Amino acid sequence: MSVVQNNSEKAKWYLPGILGGMKITMKHLLKNLFNRKKMISLNYPEEKYEYSPRFKGNHVLTVKKDGSLRCTACMLCATNCPAECIKINAAEHNDPTVEKYPISYEIDILRCVFCGFCEEACPVDAIRLGPEWQTPGVNGANFIYDINHLAFRPNLKGGILTHVDDEERHKQGI
Amino acid sequence: MPKCSINGKEVEVKEGTSIIEAMQQSGDRIAHYCWHPGLSVAGVCRLCMVEIEGNPRVQIACNTMVTEGMKINNTSEKVRDAVKWGLDFHLINHPLDCPICDQAGECGLQDQYMEYGKYDPEMAEPKQRKHKVVDLGPTVVLDSERCILCSRCVRFTEEVTKTNELGIFNRGDRSEIGTHDGMPLANKYSLNTVDICPVGALTSKDFRFRQRVWYLKDAESICNGCSTGCNVKVYYNKEGFFRVKPVYNEKVNGHWMCDEGRDIYKFANKEHRLLKGQIHTSSGWTETHGGAAAKAAHEVIKSTAADALALVLTAQYTVEEFDAIVGTFVNEFKTKKVFFWINNKETFDSFDGLLLRGDKNPNTKGLLKVLDKHGVTATWGDLSQGVASGAIKTVVVAGPENLSAFPDFTERVAELSKAQNLIWMQADKNDALKNLKGNVWLIPMKSFTEKDGTFINHAGLEQKFKKVTTVVSEALTLTEAALLLAGKNLMIPPAVGEFLPANQREDQVMLEMRKKNEFVFKRGSL
Repeated sequence: MSVVQNNSEKAKWYLPGILGGMKITMKHLLKNLFNRKKMISLNYPEEKYEYSPRFKGNHVLTVKKDGSLRCTACMLCATNCPAECIKINAAEHNDPTVEKYPISYEIDILRCVFCGFCEEACPVDAIRLGPEWQTPGVNGANFIYDINHLAFRPNLKGGILTHVDDEERHKQGI
Repeated sequence: MPKCSINGKEVEVKEGTSIIEAMQQSGDRIAHYCWHPGLSVAGVCRLCMVEIEGNPRVQIACNTMVTEGMKINNTSEKVRDAVKWGLDFHLINHPLDCPICDQAGECGLQDQYMEYGKYDPEMAEPKQRKHKVVDLGPTVVLDSERCILCSRCVRFTEEVTKTNELGIFNRGDRSEIGTHDGMPLANKYSLNTVDICPVGALTSKDFRFRQRVWYLKDAESICNGCSTGCNVKVYYNKEGFFRVKPVYNEKVNGHWMCDEGRDIYKFANKEHRLLKGQIHTSSGWTETHGGAAAKAAHEVIKSTAADALALVLTAQYTVEEFDAIVGTFVNEFKTKKVFFWINNKETFDSFDGLLLRGDKNPNTKGLLKVLDKHGVTATWGDLSQGVASGAIKTVVVAGPENLSAFPDFTERVAELSKAQNLIWMQADKNDALKNLKGNVWLIPMKSFTEKDGTFINHAGLEQKFKKVTTVVSEALTLTEAALLLAGKNLMIPPAVGEFLPANQREDQVMLEMRKKNEFVFKRGSL
């Protein structure tokens, strides 16, 4: 590493620089004092910034109209996942029109890189990346999200409805 | 011997060979669903289209015989177009089930679509709905919507098992595969229908939804379920083994294998295995390393007189292992008390006419050969008598791998536990062993998937197989156990021919030179 030292005469005149900096500070101070609505900084954690719905944050598993999981446990998300953070166990459903469903769906959120490939791979709009971006946790917190957390955590208010409905698809002859 | 040319290549085939067989012989790829080398020709899928010179229209390859001088081509635009339209008609009623279909990843429709299809469907009518998740029997589930009516499974039950359970019902686009009332698909070879199904219509209940096939690796091995010794592929990943499929071998099993043999992966999985060596003394069980248990057992064998030492072998190990352990007993311990544990005497010679044999050991012939070689003539009666009278004090047992083939297991454990010291080597854990009292050494063994070796089948055919993977790292092979029981150490064979200067290129830079170069490189100057 090299340190550049400027020993010229001009460099000894530091006062104009300081005053210039103070001027900018004062400008922002006064602007924020008299026009608080346009203030740039947020009082985090009381105020939080909301990203657009397209933001790739924490995962959400969508649900069908009857409240059951949309996921069919095809494991395309797990196959496509570059971080290998999705683990699914499939089982046979009693309803022959559903046939296959996940009995466990786990995302290791600490491994996840939020690339959104799972969302892209999903053929039935069962997994989405939501606008939620805070994943705090103290020691011992569980960073492996299970079905309960992914689909029915409190701030989803009972689950997100999927776009893809089997009955409508069948009517269209798919 | 007619000669023909396939895609410009000259091929000479036997009289009465069909074009598709000739193409298999020459290694050319051809799309097909209904044709299977082990079944009769049906000619229903219309996909194996070929162009024959002098013939105005494309023909099916499976039902056209090769004649002298025939010029066959299946790469032309005309053929590709015919296959594309054939595929389009197959897919008219085929549901978009790939995400939940077990066949996805090894599906004939997916393969051919990627090669010949990639079209936009022109069918405007809605798809014909049929039955889903139909229970055909104890092992197989049918999804009629996915079925393309190639009739392979119907021909299988008709020609191979001759049980005729399956049939095609209804007509036109309502046709479905099905069974008659009260006649489920319950023969001993039913899972072969799942293998030959080119789509996901027939799925195995055992494997259903347990893994996607692209997560599995496969390796060839020999089935150790009975003395037929079918050639199989085991499918596994780091979680364990998941299924077994047959591999074609004309001399042994043809294209098929039995349902019983498909369960052999289960006892090789970790949850059924003995993971550690265990030693039982008057103070109860203690767990040790597998090798340490064998070494501890060596002390007992050393202190036992040669007359009071016996070895019991089941025919579930490889020839090499038998040779090692019998050799150790005969030459090192100077005892010829080596006994063959015959598991099911009554049905030993039975045969169902296709593949299943009553002798549920893969290597009976191999064991007899080794016993013969070492001149062992002892019979089981000597052992029972010796153990009961106390003449035999230490018994070493190489126990079975496939416990379900040993109905007399608990009785034999009780009989042998009368001996003062019992050294039991086995792959799977069992309650009968856990409840033993007295001096017992339990040594974990490797299953047939974890070692190289040779099995000799009922017909005397020697079949070599290779290690697939390691499930229990502490387990020993019988060869290793024989060394440890004899008080020797396990050695890693020295590497021969590796990393020698002879393998170097002339211009190869030596490691020392490279290091020197790195330090010569100037860094950090400003």
